[in-house]
Amino acid sequence: MSDCAIQMRGIRKVYPRFALRGIDLDVPDGTVLGLIGPNGAGKSTLLRILMGLVRADAGRVTVLGREMPAAERWIKARVGFVSEDMALYGAATLRWHMQLVRDMHEGWDDRRASELLESFHLDPEQRVRGLSRGQQVKALLLLAMARRADVLVLDEPTAGLDPLVRHEILTLLYASRSERRALIFSSHYGDDVATLADNVAFVHDGRLIAHAPVHELLGGGKSLEKVFLDRVAGLKCGRAA
Amino acid sequence: MNIRTIARLVRKDCWLMRWPLAIYILAGLAGLALTVMGGRVGRSAGITLALNVLIGVSFHVMLVPVLGERERKTLAFVMSLPVTPADTAVGKVVAAFTLFLIPATIAATTLVWLSPIDIPAAMAAAHRPLWSHVLGTLGYYAVVLGAWLLFFSVVLAAAIVSESVGWTIAVLTGLLFVFGNFALQILPTLHGVARYLRALGRGQAALPITIGCEAVGIALIVAMVLTLQGRKTSFV
Repeated sequence: MSDCAIQMRGIRKVYPRFALRGIDLDVPDGTVLGLIGPNGAGKSTLLRILMGLVRADAGRVTVLGREMPAAERWIKARVGFVSEDMALYGAATLRWHMQLVRDMHEGWDDRRASELLESFHLDPEQRVRGLSRGQQVKALLLLAMARRADVLVLDEPTAGLDPLVRHEILTLLYASRSERRALIFSSHYGDDVATLADNVAFVHDGRLIAHAPVHELLGGGKSLEKVFLDRVAGLKCGRAA
Repeated sequence: MNIRTIARLVRKDCWLMRWPLAIYILAGLAGLALTVMGGRVGRSAGITLALNVLIGVSFHVMLVPVLGERERKTLAFVMSLPVTPADTAVGKVVAAFTLFLIPATIAATTLVWLSPIDIPAAMAAAHRPLWSHVLGTLGYYAVVLGAWLLFFSVVLAAAIVSESVGWTIAVLTGLLFVFGNFALQILPTLHGVARYLRALGRGQAALPITIGCEAVGIALIVAMVLTLQGRKTSFV
């Protein structure tokens, strides 16, 4: 088996006003990769292609040694996905959702679900429409993590959350690193990436403009946002020249 | 495709629609009761309720479990589970037909009861064996339900393929008010059609042919929907 939990090669996807232009990305076993980029850079599209929610025009996606979309069901049974652009059924309770996921996942762990309910202070009998945005993100994370997924894919999980909830979620993700083989997440917050990730990839205008260990990029004492902005500025200068 | 996964997705949609479904069933039963009780007012109220159930449940199923998934962003959650796009497409079609058929069967019973032909009297006068009457009634029933199911399939196809509320409502209202009016007011006046309708009423070969055409039409529409879904490249 490959030592990469996730491997993406030559991923291309063309939309009328946007394109992913041949992205190569590796997430080695036991590591966390953070994706940083502005809105519309292609982070969400890349993660959706990884999860089989969008089909690439070209390229190869391999997760845990199997190819997407040929092994879609097998992969999704081992990958937990939470997106900022995802919602639960408002009229149903969290317990109903837990039952739905449990019915479809052999790896569902009741004990882990109870631990997460407790640490997130969630009431399983509460209807989802009565939950705050932060509680809904926690509920989505609970549903993804109680499956004992080998890989976690998070698309801007902390977007729009207050600092307290953001901190709570980051702490839990950090503490549970050993539970899974890999984590890939996108964020607008350089601090989140610096806290959680081993490696960082900068996505800009459908391209990967940098992919390196976080400590390498933070070497100059700058924040990740500043490093990203410098790289983008460098690209623009290069084009102008 | 995985049958167990599809069955779970269908159960999910039926559970989420349980209250509207209960109301449509009650309304359908009320319409049937009014029709059975008879009288001009009862029959008129019965047919109004039956038609409202059929139209209401069609709208409701299209707007909530079919188009609502994407609108409310729950589709991404469903697609993150161990399912393929084919599982979700088949699950949606089966759930939509199930949710439609339960109240629609009751409403169709009302419409059969409201037939211009006095069915029990015609049966008594025909001096045929009982099984013949049962077959005839079932056949007539199948024609009515099949016509509604065909109508529903076209709207369902528009909803699933276009993923647009606007286009779905356009197709639904177009079928009801343009094609429906044409079918009710102009078609029966055409010579060939009138003869065909009389043959249908007498239970001649027109009856099984009509039921067969309806079944083939529904199967073709479902096949077309699944083929077009298979060609899509975005599922959220």
